[in-house]
Amino acid sequence: MIKRLLPSLAALALLAVVGRAAEPRSLTIGLVAKSQGNPVFQAARVGAQDAAKELGAKYHLNIKIDWRTPNEEDAQKQAEAIEQLVLAGADGISVSCSDANKLTDAINSAVKNGVPVATFDSDAPASLRFVTYGVDDIECGKQVMLELAKIMDGKGVVAILAGNQNAPNLQKRVAGVKEEAAKYPGIAIRDTYFHKETPQDAAAKVEQVMQANPEITGWAMIGGWPLFTENALKWQPGTVKCVAVDALPAQLAYIRSGHVPVLLAQQCYEWGHRTVELLVDKIVFKKDPPAVKEISALIPVTKDNVDAFGKNWAKWLPK
Amino acid sequence: MLSRLRSAFRFQESGLLLVIFALGALLTLFSGTVRTPVFATAPDGSRERVFMTNAAGERLPAVAERNKFLNAQNFAQLAKDTSFIAIMAVGMSLVIISGGIDLSVGAIYALASVLGAIALNHFGPDGPGASTSPWIGVMLGTLTCVGIATLCGLVNGSLIVALRVHPFIITLGTMAILRGIAFVVTKGQSIGGFPPAFREIVRFEVGNGLSLVPLAVMIIVTIAGGLYLARLAAGRRVYAIGGNELASRFSGIRVERVKLGVYLLSGFTAGIAALLSLGYYGAATSGDGQGYELNVIAAAVVGGASLTGGKGTALGAVLGALVIQMISSGIIILGIDQNYSQIIIGTVVIAAVVLDNFNTWLARRRLTQRAT
Repeated sequence: MIKRLLPSLAALALLAVVGRAAEPRSLTIGLVAKSQGNPVFQAARVGAQDAAKELGAKYHLNIKIDWRTPNEEDAQKQAEAIEQLVLAGADGISVSCSDANKLTDAINSAVKNGVPVATFDSDAPASLRFVTYGVDDIECGKQVMLELAKIMDGKGVVAILAGNQNAPNLQKRVAGVKEEAAKYPGIAIRDTYFHKETPQDAAAKVEQVMQANPEITGWAMIGGWPLFTENALKWQPGTVKCVAVDALPAQLAYIRSGHVPVLLAQQCYEWGHRTVELLVDKIVFKKDPPAVKEISALIPVTKDNVDAFGKNWAKWLPK
Repeated sequence: MLSRLRSAFRFQESGLLLVIFALGALLTLFSGTVRTPVFATAPDGSRERVFMTNAAGERLPAVAERNKFLNAQNFAQLAKDTSFIAIMAVGMSLVIISGGIDLSVGAIYALASVLGAIALNHFGPDGPGASTSPWIGVMLGTLTCVGIATLCGLVNGSLIVALRVHPFIITLGTMAILRGIAFVVTKGQSIGGFPPAFREIVRFEVGNGLSLVPLAVMIIVTIAGGLYLARLAAGRRVYAIGGNELASRFSGIRVERVKLGVYLLSGFTAGIAALLSLGYYGAATSGDGQGYELNVIAAAVVGGASLTGGKGTALGAVLGALVIQMISSGIIILGIDQNYSQIIIGTVVIAAVVLDNFNTWLARRRLTQRAT
């Protein structure tokens, strides 16, 4: 009896082994952005999820994106999220650092525990992260000022809208704007204006500054915050020039209305997509990127390409 | 023995403990397992990963499988994450028991952090005082951080007592002022680079890489807060003025002095939390502790403190913080979409208050029945 059953049992065991071998390998990648409410990070999340689907199908993997982002910017909460992700068994982590100093230990601890970490948008340069992906913030600030200087014909009074004063990447962009502005003797920087990074706070700040300083003829916005609301720029198109970083759907209306001649789009969808690609290469194929710093270019969006660019958002925003 | 403990800490937190055990059991059951690398202590004291050679001769890192929730590392992490809010919640519970509120604890935490960070940075490896004994740096940094926070608490208390303005308004104002000062002082820059000795104390690890210093400090603060409230006359006065300020005044309690004391202690606990954060995370910015006041108040309220005053305990505040943190960590451990965490935590806060009210109503009813 046993002898008769043996071949069947062997076949069953083989099937079980084959079945197990055919099961896709599971990977969990933690995604820790700076804040929940900012649409650029929602685009990064969609990018990560899309990359998980694409790479999962391509390499026969079951990739889960574990989104662990504080509601508002809080580096301590980010560090806690990284530590918790490691304990929960994440295979890799992608993070945009609100405070590089505060996150360095958490990143190093994750790496020492065998969890590779990639950073995007805002780096922790002293940490053991194996790659960082995003714009060069100094260059970003310079490019904002360069575009603004072009449309202002190299003369006028410029205000810098700068978001959260604690964010190291924004501080670098401000430095870039000032460095570039120094090349134009006809341009004077009125001041740098910080604000809470909500569209309403940013729009209110622009309005207050314009009322107090009507001589301002140009705005260098190193983030697009006020343009996420409607009617934030209360002047006739062309009277005050404006260049802003990012090109979210709400911002595109300002290109069409003529209030903002140039938007410089960060590749925020790619923040998630590309870092997941890099992490999968690292975790599955033990492959390191060619360089630790991978720079993503800013894409200028003007009246000429606004409609074509706008179509991307149908794919990039959460459904 | 148990009855002594019960009276020492006004052991009315049995309900909260039950919730914590139930949550723990649920998380243990449903969290699943995780494979984590195995570490060993090297001869120089550092932690090193353990490698094994398989049948094919490949050298692979050794891994151990364990329950995602029920393991020492997770408990140490949970305790550490809870400690910052819990320590402040002990101070906040004193304020709430006295019938007040302190909205400035997050800002005090930020200002104490950045000023403490500046002092510590001065004696850090790249600071001008690098050649001084690191212990002097640690001591001065600690004194600055905790001292500034205590001073802020004293300012809050003094303004509330002297101006006779509701603490909500005063602490709302100081919240903005203190955070503003923190920004002006730092110019928005993150300050790190502390003496390694300072960080080694706070991050001191035992066993398999467990950082237990935040837990130890949390326990000390809880015991001190519990004894103060339950055993000292000063603590009983806090309950008295929270229960009925006018009656307390007529019975000879110096209400102003008690109020001053609770805000000072609230600042002091914010300073301790800030100091731990400095040591653990190694940096501070003026944006630190943003919105923490609400988490701290929520922890105290979930822990049984009544916003109308006269009720609450130090242990309850810590357990309240633990419940909130367990839910927050549990959401990660169970892999639940993070977007639901706010909804779940908000629901728990409301449910805790409703349950507490129900409990009070039941107790009153029982007393009435006994009396009749």
